[in-house]
Amino acid sequence: MKILVCIKQVPDMESKFKVDAGGTWYAKTDLAWRMNEYDEYAVEQAVQLKEQAKDADLTVLCIGSDQVKETMKKALAMGCDRGAHIADDNASGKEPFEIAGVIAEYAKGKNFDLIFTGMQSQDRGSAQVGVLVAEMLGLPSVSTVVHFAYEGGAVVAKRELEGGIKACVKVQAPVVITCQLGMNTPRYPTLPNIMKAKKKELLSTPVQDLLKVDARQETARMYFPEKKGGGLVLEGDMAEMADKLIKILKEKTAVLA
Amino acid sequence: MKILLIAESREGKVLSGTYELVAFAAKMNAESVMFLVGDEGVLPKYDGKLYLADGKTVGEYNPDVHKQLVLDVIAKENPDMVALCHSSYGWDLAPRIAYALKAAQISEVVDVVDGVPVVPVCNSKLRCDVKAKTAKTVVTLQAGAFGLSDEPSGTPTVEKIVVTGGGRVQFTGYEQAASGGVDLGKAQVIVSAGRGIGKPENVAMIAGLAKALGGEYGASRPVVDSEWVEHNRQVGTTGQTVTPKLYIACGISGAIQHLAGMKKSEFIVAINTDKDAPIGDVADVLVVADLKQFVPLLTEKIKSL
Amino acid sequence: MEFTREIYWNVGHGALTLVPMYLLAAIAIGLLVRGALQRIPLYKQGLPLNRTDQMGRRIAIMLENVLLQKKVTRVPWPGLLHGLFFWGFGLLVIGTTLIVIQADFTDLLFNVKFLKGTFYKLFSIVLDLAGLVCIVMLGGLLVRRYFFAPEGLETKKDDAIMHGLMFTILITGFIIEGSRMAVTEMGTPLAMWSPVGLIVANALSGLGQAGLLLLHKLTWWFHLLLVMGFFILIPLTKFRHILTTSSNYFFSDLGPKGKLVNLDLENEESETFGATNIKEMTWKDIFDADACTLCKRCQDRCPAFATGKPLSPMKVVNQLGETAFNNPEANLIEVVGKDVLWSCTTCLACQEICPAAIEHVGKIVELRRSMVLMEGEFPGEEVMTAMEATEVNGNPLGIGYAERGDWAEGLGIKSLADDAEVDVLFFVGCYGSFDKRNIAVAKSFVKLCQAAGVKVGILGKEEKCCGEPMRKMGNEYLYQSLAVENIEQIKAYGVKKIVTTCPHCYNTLAKDYRDLGLETPVEIYTVFLEQLIADGKLKIDATDLSCTYHDSCYLGRHNDIYEAGRNLIAAAGGKLVEMDKNRAEAFCCSAGGGRILAEEKIGERINIVRVKMAAETGASTLVSNCPFCLTMFEDGVKGAGVEESLRPKDIAEILAERIH
Repeated sequence: MKILVCIKQVPDMESKFKVDAGGTWYAKTDLAWRMNEYDEYAVEQAVQLKEQAKDADLTVLCIGSDQVKETMKKALAMGCDRGAHIADDNASGKEPFEIAGVIAEYAKGKNFDLIFTGMQSQDRGSAQVGVLVAEMLGLPSVSTVVHFAYEGGAVVAKRELEGGIKACVKVQAPVVITCQLGMNTPRYPTLPNIMKAKKKELLSTPVQDLLKVDARQETARMYFPEKKGGGLVLEGDMAEMADKLIKILKEKTAVLA
Repeated sequence: MKILLIAESREGKVLSGTYELVAFAAKMNAESVMFLVGDEGVLPKYDGKLYLADGKTVGEYNPDVHKQLVLDVIAKENPDMVALCHSSYGWDLAPRIAYALKAAQISEVVDVVDGVPVVPVCNSKLRCDVKAKTAKTVVTLQAGAFGLSDEPSGTPTVEKIVVTGGGRVQFTGYEQAASGGVDLGKAQVIVSAGRGIGKPENVAMIAGLAKALGGEYGASRPVVDSEWVEHNRQVGTTGQTVTPKLYIACGISGAIQHLAGMKKSEFIVAINTDKDAPIGDVADVLVVADLKQFVPLLTEKIKSL
Repeated sequence: MEFTREIYWNVGHGALTLVPMYLLAAIAIGLLVRGALQRIPLYKQGLPLNRTDQMGRRIAIMLENVLLQKKVTRVPWPGLLHGLFFWGFGLLVIGTTLIVIQADFTDLLFNVKFLKGTFYKLFSIVLDLAGLVCIVMLGGLLVRRYFFAPEGLETKKDDAIMHGLMFTILITGFIIEGSRMAVTEMGTPLAMWSPVGLIVANALSGLGQAGLLLLHKLTWWFHLLLVMGFFILIPLTKFRHILTTSSNYFFSDLGPKGKLVNLDLENEESETFGATNIKEMTWKDIFDADACTLCKRCQDRCPAFATGKPLSPMKVVNQLGETAFNNPEANLIEVVGKDVLWSCTTCLACQEICPAAIEHVGKIVELRRSMVLMEGEFPGEEVMTAMEATEVNGNPLGIGYAERGDWAEGLGIKSLADDAEVDVLFFVGCYGSFDKRNIAVAKSFVKLCQAAGVKVGILGKEEKCCGEPMRKMGNEYLYQSLAVENIEQIKAYGVKKIVTTCPHCYNTLAKDYRDLGLETPVEIYTVFLEQLIADGKLKIDATDLSCTYHDSCYLGRHNDIYEAGRNLIAAAGGKLVEMDKNRAEAFCCSAGGGRILAEEKIGERINIVRVKMAAETGASTLVSNCPFCLTMFEDGVKGAGVEESLRPKDIAEILAERIH
């Protein structure tokens, strides 16, 4: 069985962002980097599938500069067999369609039985790449998966819908699965696996070799939203704030009448 | 401009996001037609043409078939834009339509300024103006970003559509959320716990404040994922959408998914140590304080009123 | 008359006595040695560990502690009982040895007798009193164990054998003496030099000469057999502690105190990290079980045990021994139990009090290492999250690393990146940098330094967590990654001296980082400030303060720093009321051992127990010297319901309010 999991390296969302000089993306300085949280669940699910299938090969793919190799090593330490690094020093300048195009070009002809990825990235959050890759490869896809099972060539999965309801689906492999938070518990890499990961194959391919599509959209401007006026900010002594708040609640709502 | 609106229904009922699509078309001053996989007995309140496929035959989740039906409608109507809700249905279907249409897909639009869609990025901390380079565009709209000022009304002109052939993904039914107990949808006052409570023991202080106010307590997703609070108290896109008279968000930063679930509350108070937390955008009052000290203090004062 | 006695009187000098006696002795000692040697392969199941370097120092430690019974008598009841018994018995052994030397050597070969005259008088009275003391102390120990046993004291068959055998040996000794004196010494001036023997002699006088001679002879042989039995039983019962506990002092960890073994992570051949099997622990870890006499002083002081957690340090130590001796293939994690292992706060109360020089904590951490490094297991998801947050942002709180120096804005100090010419590097630590309550302490410290004219710099966003909580949890890999980065940064700036306000950072930088190449001197802020005041550079106004002082584990037991904080309190005008458990007996706040990262789910909350101890002193301020303790106490005063009457404060805050 051949499995592919596509991950992205994103900044930790606790970072304080600044807009870069070009004004179209965030500045890369003073940021802590990590694996996109949704992709962590994808990697974990892919590794669990590999463990279940026993004779499976799992590739982790990531697009970016050499910096992303750190994140790829974590995926390798979680259990991926090999890494496909798509070397691109301007990955953030590419839009979802281009990203999907690169991945689809990589996957073309490799006959992956399953392709996992997170349902969206924490930075751009367009939630398109996974399904686009499937469309480009002519494969079925299911997004927002919170439960995955594989039984003899068929995938039985549950999608998470609004209101906590789940939709149960069944589909034959090959298929693309995009993963939602809470799908599983991503494992903490063990030290022997971290050490093995250092020796696993991690080949770099220049992105130009795989980018065969044109961009369909562009970010004209990135900026901080205006603080919406009208909201009252209370600061200072806690007892005073509590009294003030109670007064406001009495006046503005019927709650403490 | 003509926009094709992809409406949604579940278990035969039309979902409210459908009307946000209508409001969007109105804001864009555009002509619209609507598509729905649903029940002919439960039509959306919409004055326009509705292409309707039968939900029971097609299946409420059947991406290949829904895509084909939409493409058939596009072939007939030739819209400039296709609009979907940024929902578990919309973000699943949109890329398929965009790919076939060779159109750009701009996801989770919160506003349109001078004709340019605006989307949130980085956990809603920033915004991007995104321009399509293609002739046609597919957009998905953030829940609650576009609202109808009036009650939806109207009766559509229905054209039934069918498709031959099945899809590759088989929908085998719904699994309801573990129910029983609280119905946040009915609560008039909700006090919610976010990651800022720090540890499960502090849920009690949130529940205490809720009780003192005669309401219920809820939680944001991370708190539910950590199993500090049961799922039926989760407020947000994958939990419940609530509209109480008073919503107090404690230690909740204001991730979009949570905001979507509560921003229609009548009066919103946020308690957070971070003055710049996105929850501040929707809060009527933001109390800059450590909830672990403020909440018990506030509860005591309320009790002694 | 001659003040002496005939050795082998009535028993016989000839071969009929000597041959069987020496034969029995040879057999008994042979069995003793064999029994001891048989244990050695069991110890050797464990990994090698060099505990025979610095021989002179080791021997000195052993002699000092064994002969002076220093640690045993630290807990006077029943420590003093044991001490006196030991000294008494020691004297009896010396006495017997002197008899053997004379009877079988100097007299036999050279006709030299020294057990005579004044020396013999002294010899007699000392041994009589020693024997009496032994009986009385042993009696006390027996009564305590069998009638007033403190809770948790395990009494086994071994104990009965030991008590019984010792009593019988001592009593038969006096019967032999008494029966002899009844025949040979009555009415002589020598008799009063054996007062106890005299009493026994008077009691036995009714037996008549023939009876006394028979009694004497039989008891003599019986006593001999008992002593031989004693030798044989040494390796088979708790008596072995005579050899094992004494040697355990020889094999002590020569320090630095409490320092963990550095795992070699460079070695690409290593396939396992930490221990799950007894063969992955060291021989010393197995030997410690044999040195343990189940006195339970460690258990009595363990904060986890005291609050309902399943951890008993004594039990863990003995389980390792049992596994080595009975079931060496067993999985130690399963034998000991995960909850047991995760409950430890590494407070060192167990090791500090242990009269057998056992090292409890290292064993627990070694087992934790295998859970974390080999299985990726933690006591809870919140700990895994904290570890991952540390990997991403260099702090377990998950706050953006670039903000680490923001707390110092407007204080007039710079990061080393902007100005590396400083007197000291203030290593702030994660809580001092990011936690609101502890930022106040960091600011106070800076204020004090500035008042004293000390130029302080910080690493700011270049500082990472020192790695201590991660290391104690068992995540040696993450700890070493953080340490190596911090050390590189510190060296790059040519830092001359480091001061920190966190005892965990202090302990780690001052001890653990030495294994990874840091040579810069490190000082804890209490000692640093104490010196500034003593040098007259920092002037503090004394104003009244009713307070009690909590000795943090990592300054106190780990580094034996008890007085600096107290001196600072005195300088500040504090009226200090000590808690019962202070200094080396202080009760942990619960956050050590990496547990600051974890939730306390079992039993009573340790921090609330300690806060209640503080509240009992009647003081209005609980002074501490550690960010973890301060955090735990702020939480604890609420939990204990005393937040109106007891305020937790750091000593730096108190001083900063009193700058002249």
